Amino acid sequence: MQILALEAVILLMLIFVTIAIIMTRDLLAAIVMFSAFSFLAVLGYFMMGAPDVAFTEAVIGTVSTIFLVAALRKIDRWCKK
Amino acid sequence: MLKKPFGGIILNTAFRLIVPFTIVYGVYVLTHGEFSPGGGFQAGALLAMGVVLSRLIQGEDTKFNISGTTAVMLAGLGAFIYAVTGILPLFFGGNFLEYSCLPFPGHGHELHATGILLIEIGVTLTVMMTIIDIMDILIKNEREEENE
Repeated sequence: MQILALEAVILLMLIFVTIAIIMTRDLLAAIVMFSAFSFLAVLGYFMMGAPDVAFTEAVIGTVSTIFLVAALRKIDRWCKK
Repeated sequence: MLKKPFGGIILNTAFRLIVPFTIVYGVYVLTHGEFSPGGGFQAGALLAMGVVLSRLIQGEDTKFNISGTTAVMLAGLGAFIYAVTGILPLFFGGNFLEYSCLPFPGHGHELHATGILLIEIGVTLTVMMTIIDIMDILIKNEREEENE
């Protein structure tokens, strides 16, 4: 029961973070929230009993955050004027 | 961002603590991947994280660095290891990737473990070097833009 409640909380947070990523106009904030989304997905995979997928998601979430920030430097538009 | 080192005392100390741990953990994930979660892909990403972190914190002239051209060559070497491990059993009376026909001493389970380890090493090399190469390309364009 408690595990079920925790799972529901994590899934709800995933939905809210996703909506926040879509709504925000600041690209850096979107990247940081994408990293948070990745971490919540890691927790979700762990709860569903897939540590292998969770491990991959954790590592790739970190690497892709670095790549996205490095790519963001080439774009003039950091956020909405 | 990535050209000059931007580490202060906290980042440098964290670098000295975290990077060796990351690399040892990556090798552990590679060699122990048969029995526990993990495997070639995760190990390669972890090992690449060590190099990417050192390049982020210590700048371009860090001691622990792999250049882009070397990374491409080593990525090709990883794919080559995988292909050779797959094709070798063909010459000793087996199918593609049939580990029990590999021409190494040992039988059955030992040969199976050896073949899987070789394949995982190939995958690890390719993934690690590809990530480092993407990083190198992202930094290189920035350098060219500053020269213009």
